[in-house]
Amino acid sequence: MAIRLSLGEMIGAGTRAVARYTGTLLSVFIAQAAVTIVCMLAVTSVLTDAFGHLPLWDEAVDGDLVALVYCVRFAEASLSATAGVVMWSVLLWVVISWFLVGGVNNVLAQRPEGRGETARCFGAGGSNTFLAYAKLALCSIPGWLAATALLLWGFDRFASEERMMVILTLPQLVGTLLLAALPGLFVLHIVWTVTDYARVELTLRHDSHEPSVVMTYLRTLAFVLKRPITLAHGGLGWLAFLLITVGYMWLAAGHSMYGAGGAVTLFVIRQGVALARSAIRFGVLGGQLELGKTRPLPPRRIVETKVESKKA
Amino acid sequence: MKKLPKKDDVPALRGGGAPRSSRIASYKLEARLDGTRHQIQGTGTLIWTNAGQSAVDMLPFHLYLNAFKNTQSVFMRSSKGEMRGARSSDSGWGWIQIDSMKIGGVEQVAKLRYPNLPDETVVELPLAEPVLPGSTIEVQFAFTEQLPEVFARTGYKNEFHLVGQWFPKIGVRVGPPGGERWECQPLHINTEFFADFGTYDVKLTVPSTHVVAATGVLVEAVESPGQTRTYTYHAEDVHDFVWMADPHMVVDRTTGRTPIVGQAKLEDGTVEVRVYARKEQQEFARRHLHAAIGSIERFSHYFVPYPWPIMTIIDPPMDAMAGAGGMEYPTLVTTAGDSVFTRAGVRLPEYVTVHEVGHNWFQGILASNEPVEAWLDEGVNEWADARVMQDLYGARANLIDWRGWQADTARLRTAALADEFKTLPSPIAAAAYVFADNKAYGIATYTQTLAVLTTLEKHVGSAKFFAAMKVYAKEFAFKHPTGRDLFSVLERELNMDLGWYFEPAFQQVGAHQLKVRTAECSAKTPPRGVMGDGPGRKVVGETEAPATGTFLCEVVVQNTGPVHIPVDIELKFADGSTQREHWDDRGSGTWQRWTIERSSKLVEVRVDPDRKVLLGNPIEYHRRLESDSSASRRASARIATWAQTFMQLVGP
Repeated sequence: MAIRLSLGEMIGAGTRAVARYTGTLLSVFIAQAAVTIVCMLAVTSVLTDAFGHLPLWDEAVDGDLVALVYCVRFAEASLSATAGVVMWSVLLWVVISWFLVGGVNNVLAQRPEGRGETARCFGAGGSNTFLAYAKLALCSIPGWLAATALLLWGFDRFASEERMMVILTLPQLVGTLLLAALPGLFVLHIVWTVTDYARVELTLRHDSHEPSVVMTYLRTLAFVLKRPITLAHGGLGWLAFLLITVGYMWLAAGHSMYGAGGAVTLFVIRQGVALARSAIRFGVLGGQLELGKTRPLPPRRIVETKVESKKA
Repeated sequence: MKKLPKKDDVPALRGGGAPRSSRIASYKLEARLDGTRHQIQGTGTLIWTNAGQSAVDMLPFHLYLNAFKNTQSVFMRSSKGEMRGARSSDSGWGWIQIDSMKIGGVEQVAKLRYPNLPDETVVELPLAEPVLPGSTIEVQFAFTEQLPEVFARTGYKNEFHLVGQWFPKIGVRVGPPGGERWECQPLHINTEFFADFGTYDVKLTVPSTHVVAATGVLVEAVESPGQTRTYTYHAEDVHDFVWMADPHMVVDRTTGRTPIVGQAKLEDGTVEVRVYARKEQQEFARRHLHAAIGSIERFSHYFVPYPWPIMTIIDPPMDAMAGAGGMEYPTLVTTAGDSVFTRAGVRLPEYVTVHEVGHNWFQGILASNEPVEAWLDEGVNEWADARVMQDLYGARANLIDWRGWQADTARLRTAALADEFKTLPSPIAAAAYVFADNKAYGIATYTQTLAVLTTLEKHVGSAKFFAAMKVYAKEFAFKHPTGRDLFSVLERELNMDLGWYFEPAFQQVGAHQLKVRTAECSAKTPPRGVMGDGPGRKVVGETEAPATGTFLCEVVVQNTGPVHIPVDIELKFADGSTQREHWDDRGSGTWQRWTIERSSKLVEVRVDPDRKVLLGNPIEYHRRLESDSSASRRASARIATWAQTFMQLVGP
């Protein structure tokens, strides 16, 4: 009989994972911060090239909306380039994350002791499953397309410009946006959760079963749909992620740090917020791995071995 | 059942007294609203005086509601059934039909002719006997009309009715004495209205459930048969009459009037300001009230005192906001801007109210010809609005003050469109209906006029300019001023010839195209190179001619636009010192070079440091010689953290 984990046990497993492998969490976060810094440097270069000689840009950055309008109109190409830098940074992170998540999953599965062993386990896990995770990303494309289509439909149906223009209060606005976004976000949540559990499965069964990626994805889809606790657990993680983000925005409202020193201070504070969110994502992985272990084993691949003997 | 409102116990003109205008066209009207079918049965009498010096053998009338009759009207053809984001509906056509028109008791309706078919927004009545100069004619008429589903200033939306431009309205005689002609244009997407002043006595019979507000003062409100009520209004020295009927507007149970009421305090008395809004918009109604009171006080101070005792603001219901909001009529305006996106700090609702209330001066009192010189009311009003917004909400952040982002009205209004000024197909001083499209009309008429007038104001000095505008307002109150009248008064009062500015700014396309073309600075050295000939030839290099320790800087500023106005140029040096130059390019070419030798290096050049010129794009006015990345670093720190949030959504 399969072991049934409760939501509390999954959260507990996640908390233990964060406490026990804080170094691994920090390593992943440092990699993320590095990509962010590269992104920041590239954006700085693009913006300085466009605006370095224009003091009006300084006023724009310091909150002069009129100056910002002039700057946007003046250097639309540079701002498009900035958007491109951001997009490519996010895509780069997606690719890097295939390795990082593989490493984290392997560490949480193997539970190595000591820094050296943990690092070896992390590297092995990341490299073993990298290609499988890449294939998994391809498998999830139909899900992404479905979620995107639903989001577009939801906004067209419930949050068209005509409807948005007659909204008067914040609760009405939130309600409308939720109504428009929920169907698409729910599908997206399923896609994300399926991907997470498929990754866990590919890590756990990599050595013993060499599971097929497509079959793993399909089996995991069935597993997630049969076990709502997977969605509830992941949903709680996103809720915590949202609360931290909104909470920071709430606290930061009206305290924008302008001036020369503001950039560094702001960046450091925001890295703290990002670290907290990373810890949540790490904890969710810990819980998912614990639940993943309870899944029935996949069918073994039949490997035919031919033995030939030669007589001298 | 809502209580009947008490009559307004005040004269139609504040303080009573003699007529302010020549009262050329006065109306007595009666209308009965069918709130279900949105139809009106009306009768009326026009008393019109020929104030010109030539006889009149034809009377033209505007039938504005026929603009919504079919797709063949000039309005529908020019608007393509869309205005300011609101669209006409296939089921919401509107029309007006004259059932009877009598002169001296003789029916004339068969003689009516439409001069601009298939457009039916103007109808002409040939007269058997001409109206001689100084004579008066009385015309009785009866009409039936269907209100359109509102998308362009008038009509209904569910139970809300805004009834504007609803009765046969006579045109205006314009031109020099003895050579007068009728001005009575078909309604076009770009044109608004033009009419003579007069008195209005209007009886409105509406379902008893409906709250009513209208131009003028309420002189009687009584219950009528068939579960209706009849409201009688009287207005003096106005050139239009509008009314609103809606069962859902909030009213006080004891007074039958809106609870959102305040007093504007003027030097010679007070004005009662009333805002009508539905329950869900009461919070915005209070913001509109504050803006309206402030506007009436400031416009009265700057120009002429508001002459009427009441100002009514209608905040249309949300589903009618785009179609019915943001329109001006004498003593009653509709506002707009209510939205979750315009909560405190984003003062679009206040700005709309200031603008529409301001129209009670720039067209309500100074009744210029809107179809022909739209800039004279819209653009001049925009200029005045920007000042009133500063007075009411502060100099820097009067339009937007939200989460650290700030914007001033005049600067933000011109910022998004400054580059368009030089490419518009028509200059400001073009008739509204000849602009290539509604966008070109809007930019030239509203925004470019705002920029032209604000630039001139700052050039001559605000106090002097406002004093001159006050004289213009006093001289032409309750008349039909033209652009030429405004220019004459300004030149006279400012005691300067301004043709050099008015002609290119209003008559030409291109505005002011000012920029810092080049700015360079290098260490100054004595002459170097090969000096002399023959045996005395020698090479002078760095050793023989070391740097003098001073810097030689060169700045070139250009203006390739047709408008030329003197500007200051501020040069900033590395030691913190500044130097100001003045460039008056009127007649001196399109560019100027300055060569400066200083002990400190030039680091920044700024044209127009006091921000007097709103006619160009200031991004090219201000340049530093060496690149500085500090602002870009601050911006990229923010952008990168957003990027990181996206990364965390798609990865660990």
